[in-house]
Amino acid sequence: MGEVKKHDTPKVDQLKTGPWPSFVDDIYSYAEKHKNQACFDIMGQMELSYTNKETHWKHGGIVGVFGYGGGVIGRYSDQQEKFPAIWAFHTVRVHHTAGKWYHTSALKKLCDMWDSRGSGVVNFHGSTGDIILLGTVTDQLEPIFFDLTHQLHWDLGGSGSNLRSPACCMGKSRCEWALIDVQELDYELTMAFQDELHRPAFPYKFKFKFSGCPLDCVAAVARADMSFIGTWRDDIRIDQEAVRAYVRGELKPNAGAFSDRDWGPFDIKKEVIDLCPTKCMYWDENEQKLYINNSECNRCMHCIAVMPEALRPGQDTGIAILIGAKAPILEGAQLSTLIVPFMKVEPPYDELKDFIYKAWDYWMENGKNRERIGELIQRVGLNKFITEVMGLTPIPQHVRVPRDNPYIFWKEEEVEGGWTRDVAEFRKRHPA
Amino acid sequence: MGIEKFKELDPIYTQPYDPTLAEKLYNPEKPMENRITDIGPPYFWQFMPPVIQKNYGKWVSHEIIQPGVLKYKSETGDVVYVVRCGTPRLETTDYIREICEIADKYCGGYVRWTTRNNVEFHVTDEETLKALIEDLKNRKHPNGSYKFPIGGTGAGISNIVHTQGWIHCHTPAIDASGVVKAIMDELFEYFGSHKLPAKTKLALACCLNMCGAVHCSDLALVGIHRKPPLVEDERLEHVCEIPLVIASCPLGAIKPATAEVDGKKKKTVRINVDRCMFCGNCYTMCPALPISDGEGDGITIVVGGKVSNRITPPEFSRVVIPYIPNEPPRWPTTVKWLKKIIEVYSQYANKYERIGTWINRIGWERFFELTGIPFTEKCIDDYRLAYTTYRTSMHFKFTKHVDEVFNAPENYKVELFK
Amino acid sequence: MNKEELKQKIIQIMEEKVKKGGKTKIYLKDLQREIPDANPREIKNAANELVREGKLEYFSTGSTVMFGLPGVGMGLEAGVEKPEE
Repeated sequence: MGEVKKHDTPKVDQLKTGPWPSFVDDIYSYAEKHKNQACFDIMGQMELSYTNKETHWKHGGIVGVFGYGGGVIGRYSDQQEKFPAIWAFHTVRVHHTAGKWYHTSALKKLCDMWDSRGSGVVNFHGSTGDIILLGTVTDQLEPIFFDLTHQLHWDLGGSGSNLRSPACCMGKSRCEWALIDVQELDYELTMAFQDELHRPAFPYKFKFKFSGCPLDCVAAVARADMSFIGTWRDDIRIDQEAVRAYVRGELKPNAGAFSDRDWGPFDIKKEVIDLCPTKCMYWDENEQKLYINNSECNRCMHCIAVMPEALRPGQDTGIAILIGAKAPILEGAQLSTLIVPFMKVEPPYDELKDFIYKAWDYWMENGKNRERIGELIQRVGLNKFITEVMGLTPIPQHVRVPRDNPYIFWKEEEVEGGWTRDVAEFRKRHPA
Repeated sequence: MGIEKFKELDPIYTQPYDPTLAEKLYNPEKPMENRITDIGPPYFWQFMPPVIQKNYGKWVSHEIIQPGVLKYKSETGDVVYVVRCGTPRLETTDYIREICEIADKYCGGYVRWTTRNNVEFHVTDEETLKALIEDLKNRKHPNGSYKFPIGGTGAGISNIVHTQGWIHCHTPAIDASGVVKAIMDELFEYFGSHKLPAKTKLALACCLNMCGAVHCSDLALVGIHRKPPLVEDERLEHVCEIPLVIASCPLGAIKPATAEVDGKKKKTVRINVDRCMFCGNCYTMCPALPISDGEGDGITIVVGGKVSNRITPPEFSRVVIPYIPNEPPRWPTTVKWLKKIIEVYSQYANKYERIGTWINRIGWERFFELTGIPFTEKCIDDYRLAYTTYRTSMHFKFTKHVDEVFNAPENYKVELFK
Repeated sequence: MNKEELKQKIIQIMEEKVKKGGKTKIYLKDLQREIPDANPREIKNAANELVREGKLEYFSTGSTVMFGLPGVGMGLEAGVEKPEE
């Protein structure tokens, strides 16, 4: 290895200052310390992009290691002469752990591997959830995979028209509102669907995300083709003494989330009762007691979030399943649609797996190329998807409002006497 | 194959990395030899600290004791303190090693990341907590930026979730990491404090593919193109599958064609530019249709979305500024408008109101008036389902817009965002 | 149709397409359209097995994955001219 070649990067260098962690300082420090040409080159190419305001990466057809249809994204620089060290700069997706917990012994070993076989540049984490290793050459892909599997017991994540790496919130590991064991569910489904994750199976990408409660910290409702969100169906647990402590100002409302501004003394009427979307709560000033009409509650969790020491979700918990979220490409953005309002789930989650296969089989059979399942549901109609595809009985919870037009696709068997009619008979009653 | 569901740390991690092993195991002639597949990620349980394992599912409440520092209480009587730090997401193995060094020193070697690119350190006593916080505050990069700014909790600005941008993507219209750095430098005080009316989540997607949930964020930036793709007649038939390219256009604006290049007939395509909505989907399918353009590309700002069900249901973000040019390295116009929106929101919203719920209360016309963002026809939807966004009632407010247009139309000028 | 027959059929479809001068890379969906009497999941399994056997290869379009005969049509490193070593 000869001397490293540094590039002038006056524009990129302006991102070294300011309080927020500077990735430029980080990458340059790494480049200097390890005499890493790829890091100097990537900063050089970034400077070129900052000058002409266009990317300088192009795409290659590489998808993965042998036998895998995902986990690697091929990437090439269009500035081969200027920045030869990043001529090929492929991305490797390493499947994050459920809840993104790590032990440093594993992380340090992963870093050792990446220093040895890649650029040293990473993302913790990519948008879908994976740990992203940015920048290696084609010849290193197989050795990286062998190192990952043999020395780290670690597999690649999904890409392309595969199941993408599922992701969940911190769940029961730290959150008192985790209504389902999202981490175990995430892990079990990830393992059950390894084939779908590594090899193309579908018309397009498919994402699972698991949130422990309706606050939805992993944005399951906006990002996942199948969103699993924890909920409960019994009563909110109330500690009346703690409620009174909030009212008396002895406990910090919202766990201290508003601490840097004077919003005045806590007002349970204004801040909880009046903001309840279903108006199912009542604070009796005389009794100093909080009443909740639980059957009218829609479990938005506002009251619980404001008074976490006093209120806790119920204990009869399960998951809701919503289907079909996606970003705008192509038919416009979609949020997931409620399909199953409540389901009890226990390992090994067989009932859930059957549900998933049912949806997948229909999508694989009927989805068009690059059509997400949410778009397919729109195309065939939610009513048909619920009844004919999933075999469920429609309930009012499936819609926000009923349809406003009576253009109903009646089927022949639903209409008395069928559709075959005798014109002669008709004309007997109605001469033309 | 399958790897054990380790409840304790897999002993493989205590063995040093062997940089020569893979070459011994991998045989290009017999690619299936020694190949381990379908093992998935390591089982999470082995990576959780003892206090977390012991209290799994037993937590009863939490408290944010200062911005970025949380205390969780368990029904067993145990507590755990968490320090949350923002990271730039784009980082090096040395930065990860520094995180490991901190976790080894204070946290028994355990560490966690959040969905929004924050790193979290866990300790169980106040003394270690104090030392950890002090240590984190003093770690800086050579030019003075904090390596581990503490914050990202409560009624403040969370770390920005974002995509790759010019550092690694082949389809972006804008950079990602640089824009995020510029924004977070300017909004830094809101990351480490609780002075906004509610939690405010920011996101950035460098093109319309949006490999992140930016369409449901309080404030988000989306990279857009404004020039139709170039058609490289000479190269197209060699690098693209023409039927796939045609099928990729959501508006059917691409038609097959033949062109003569240097006396040779070439199969290619033609684009009906009047129908192009600049989504870049065709370029995803065909590298001979480059769409990026330094002058054409830029940023759209969308506001008011959310994913939480708290008080109101999840909601999409809406376009308020259709285009701001790319201005590397610090994107001053974009940063200026974001800051303006945050400041106006902070001034006028009620406690607990997210940006979207605040706007729904005051009305979009008031939002445009208060922020001074010029309203143009670009903010009126003309894609699918556009009708659902039209105003079909008498519920509107008399803002300056009515005066300017309907009482003195000669005064009304569409301002450009420059 | 058993798995071996299905695999043969897939290869046959791919080769015919190339011979006709049409597509060299096809989606799983296109295979399913050509073999309507087989279950999509079986087609997927058969095609993926052919990849493991080295008789087919994957090709990434960026966001989706296609199947192709090794060495036919756009190469894995599409549009990339390798610099002279």
